[in-house]
Amino acid sequence: MSGLLALALCVCQGVMAQDTLKKFDLQELVVTGTGTLHLLKDAPVQTEVITGKQLKNFGGRSLQEILSGLATSFDFNEDDMGSHITMGGLGNSYILILVDGKRLNGDVGGDNDLQLIDPQNIDKIEIVKGAASALYGSDAVAGVINIITKKHDEGLLLENSTRVGSYGDLRQHNGFGLRSGRWNSYTNFQLQHTDGWRNTSVEHTSPLEDPVLDSKNKTRNRFTSWQAAERLTYDAGKAGEYYAEGSIYGKRIYRLSGKYPHYDVNTYDLAYQNAGASVGGKWNLGNKDYITFDADWNRHAYYYHFTSETLVEDYDKSAGTIYYPYYPYLAGQEALQSDQQRTLLSAKGVFTLPFQNRLSGGAEFRYDYLKAPTRVEGGKADDWTAAVYVQDEFNPHRNFNITAGLRLNRNHQFGFKATPKVSVMWSVTPDLRLRGGWSQGFKTPTPKELHYMYVRQMSGTYLYLGNKDLKAQSSNYFSASLEYSVKGLVLTVGGYFNKLDNMITLVTIPNYEAPDELIARYDPVKTRKYQNMDKAKTYGGDFSLRWKIGDFLLNAGYSYLDTKADQYDTDHETIRRVKIDGMAHHKGSFSLLWNHSFSSAYQLGLGLYGRMSSKRYYQTNGDGKGYQLWRFATTHDIRGSRNLTFSIQAGIDNIFNYVDRTPHGLHLGTTSAGRTFYAGILVRFTNGRKTINKIKTNLNQRDDEN
Amino acid sequence: MKTKFLLIAAAAMLLGLTSCSKDSEKSNYSEYQKAVNNTVKAQKKHDKAILLVAFGSTWQQAYDAFDATVAAYKSAFPSYDVFLSFSSAICINRAAAGENVAPRNFYAPPFWLTAFAQDGVKYSEIVIQSLQVIPGEEYTRVINYIKDFANNSNGDLDDSYLSKVTLKLGVPLLQDADADVNAVAKTLNDLYKDRAASNVVAFMGHGNPDSYDTYKANIRYTQLEEALQTYSKNYYVGTVDMMANFKTNVLARMQANGITSGTVYCHPLMSIAGDHAHNDMAGDDDENGAPNEEGEVEDTSWKCYFAAQGYTCNDGTQIVKGLLELPSVRQIWMNHTTAAINGEPLDYYHSKNPE
Repeated sequence: MSGLLALALCVCQGVMAQDTLKKFDLQELVVTGTGTLHLLKDAPVQTEVITGKQLKNFGGRSLQEILSGLATSFDFNEDDMGSHITMGGLGNSYILILVDGKRLNGDVGGDNDLQLIDPQNIDKIEIVKGAASALYGSDAVAGVINIITKKHDEGLLLENSTRVGSYGDLRQHNGFGLRSGRWNSYTNFQLQHTDGWRNTSVEHTSPLEDPVLDSKNKTRNRFTSWQAAERLTYDAGKAGEYYAEGSIYGKRIYRLSGKYPHYDVNTYDLAYQNAGASVGGKWNLGNKDYITFDADWNRHAYYYHFTSETLVEDYDKSAGTIYYPYYPYLAGQEALQSDQQRTLLSAKGVFTLPFQNRLSGGAEFRYDYLKAPTRVEGGKADDWTAAVYVQDEFNPHRNFNITAGLRLNRNHQFGFKATPKVSVMWSVTPDLRLRGGWSQGFKTPTPKELHYMYVRQMSGTYLYLGNKDLKAQSSNYFSASLEYSVKGLVLTVGGYFNKLDNMITLVTIPNYEAPDELIARYDPVKTRKYQNMDKAKTYGGDFSLRWKIGDFLLNAGYSYLDTKADQYDTDHETIRRVKIDGMAHHKGSFSLLWNHSFSSAYQLGLGLYGRMSSKRYYQTNGDGKGYQLWRFATTHDIRGSRNLTFSIQAGIDNIFNYVDRTPHGLHLGTTSAGRTFYAGILVRFTNGRKTINKIKTNLNQRDDEN
Repeated sequence: MKTKFLLIAAAAMLLGLTSCSKDSEKSNYSEYQKAVNNTVKAQKKHDKAILLVAFGSTWQQAYDAFDATVAAYKSAFPSYDVFLSFSSAICINRAAAGENVAPRNFYAPPFWLTAFAQDGVKYSEIVIQSLQVIPGEEYTRVINYIKDFANNSNGDLDDSYLSKVTLKLGVPLLQDADADVNAVAKTLNDLYKDRAASNVVAFMGHGNPDSYDTYKANIRYTQLEEALQTYSKNYYVGTVDMMANFKTNVLARMQANGITSGTVYCHPLMSIAGDHAHNDMAGDDDENGAPNEEGEVEDTSWKCYFAAQGYTCNDGTQIVKGLLELPSVRQIWMNHTTAAINGEPLDYYHSKNPE
């Protein structure tokens, strides 16, 4: 028996060793930095990849968990208003989150709704820091996260994944794929749910008030989200490929009420509805040249779902016949808060030119429409931006690449801006690569930043105001990195400096600068308004190590970050130098994986993951404590038959049960619930061969090079 | 086929997202009003009513102060039904919801007034008493509620009732620049003269966040300080929102009077001790309130600011009491109610925007 086992181990190690070269060195294909496919090792722009294998081993329940667990640059501080993702110290409004190259639409306070992404349907994630690519405009100041979804072209595919975990956690994914001739259809349904949890029942109160020790507020509230999506593709063979897709999505965040009107009473839940539709295609021109076209429409609507009678003061009375300054909503009714609609048209061509040049050129038109009956003067606002860009990838020598790009942006309110980018890569030896880059970013204020007005109740009323006088933000990003790879070991060391001008952030203003009528109506303890901070800079260094030895894979990463923002204080007419909210100087991640095939029918994966962060800085309401969290994950791949496979995942998150019990109202280092358990099973039935081994994606990343 | 279905579903969803119709709007108002009507009907014992109008709060201490005020009114005006109204929607909503022992229904003034005019109630006299401190913007809103009511703005009230109902308005605490200001100064001095004998007693009012004299109201704070200083130079009156009368200006006036050290007692000059008293006056802040060119330090409480300026100012020197919690000050409001009852009724019928 032991002999058989030893033989099996030996055989499998051999198999895994070959697999290793493919999976774990730099053979991964990436697309995000240039919009054209490159092997990771040859990518002109430094790109971080979270592979499908890593995703599977990790067994993450959400994009938040995946990014915070497997990459060092990210942090989150989830609450009802969003994930509050930061990348290199900068918030969501500076991070461009793409799904298959298309930007995610819809935000609350600048934070995208990450539940729109089905974690079971992610093929891999590519991360590019800074405004490094000419392909992306507004938002990509801190960087780009490109989520590449799984593409299916089996004759018949049926899959179900159900993952359950502590605190009523449920993640459900169902896929149905069907191919008939050149037509291919994939239908996806996903559900995400948690009952939420409460790390503390203590509220941060005034020192002269009785303490509140039995607050009903939760650290994370209960929520349920669901999404149905359909994608239809037509493969025109050598001529190209066309697709149409659509999705609908809903989400509700449930909020409990306690007995302290000042702290834990809520009269409404939050509800979201999202819908999207896209069509596009790719025409091959021969000689590896092609043109792509995409048209995309998406709406993200945000509602209050009232749970008890609620008077609102800023009701749109234009259609009404009753002139009270209040409008009563009854329990069970909903009121639209914002409806963000975006239409995106884009076209791109990639052409091979003489002398080792590859030219990409494209145009993009984006129209944003914001409807917010009670939060925007007149109830609506809109914005459009048109851009053209050109990028050339030039290999003057086989060991040297220069990629230069220029993006010309024209915004109907903020005029014209050109943003150049250049990156170079030099393969000093086959094992050693140097990369460097400079890129400019440009970001116009969003309709919300310009026009929005809303009130939040958090230990007192806070009034938030848009600002029609905002200027566009711009950035200069410099980076340099070194990559050394030898025999399963990959080391990367890099540094970056991101200088932002006219950075937009919420600043506390004196109440007398706010409209009298609003002050009389809400009597806010603080009024905060979007303003251009004069300057900000973020700089830091990253180190990462990936080492494959036998069945073991070790990943370790460390990021250092510092930020300096010169914030103009209108009240004092002085410049204050502050750290950007939420930043931590030191962040690290660690993982050790062991993957082993015991037989062709059973593979085991074991993984130990750690992530850690030093103190997170905030200007008000206290700093977030440093933390470290560890996770143990197992995966069991079982092959039932030629058509049927099972994959079982089970693990423990936050093994050492670290819980940040800082009272509600103050900042947390992590919102982790403490030690939690999860288990899931993926059942997958396929029938019929896959079509030609071509990468099937929509959009700009399609290529025939492999 | 599936795509078609999804597109139809998406279109149906879009259609479903249109805002509420006029019908549902009317039914919402009538359903909400019904609850207010029932509350009034259930509590009606007399032919006359007093409606106390405050901005509102979400603090327990404020609820206690309001409850005590209503009780004092009931005992002082035994022939009147007494109701309390908040004008802030957020405060109304939060007080009514949740797991409170008893839901607190501080309906907004227009709903109370409409309920007072319903069949079966129809009070012959309605006295609206402002619980504001100064006759500023808040008070103007109160007047507008009464005008809307008197003029049947929504056309849903009985015009013949409106033409004969007696409406009376009790004015804010510091309405009169002489009588009220002097009465309040005397009362506060009676309460705090021991402390003011050798320490600073700094009152923190709200103030209107606009120009100095839009409502001719902000000046009451200055007048009150002048009146208090006839008793002692240790009394000061500053505000949260009034230009040129922030805590920094209070400090400057203290220094001009030669007070550069010692103990500073802080006291809200607001009807109740809520957000401003707990945050702006007695809150703990990260910043230490260093002086600057402009004057005000937005993110620092009075307590932290005066402590940073070298005075003894700490939790022990914060007198976190609203004026309604001081029976002798509350009595001045009640005197205004008595004066309103004894005075001429309002002539607001067809008076809205008389210009």
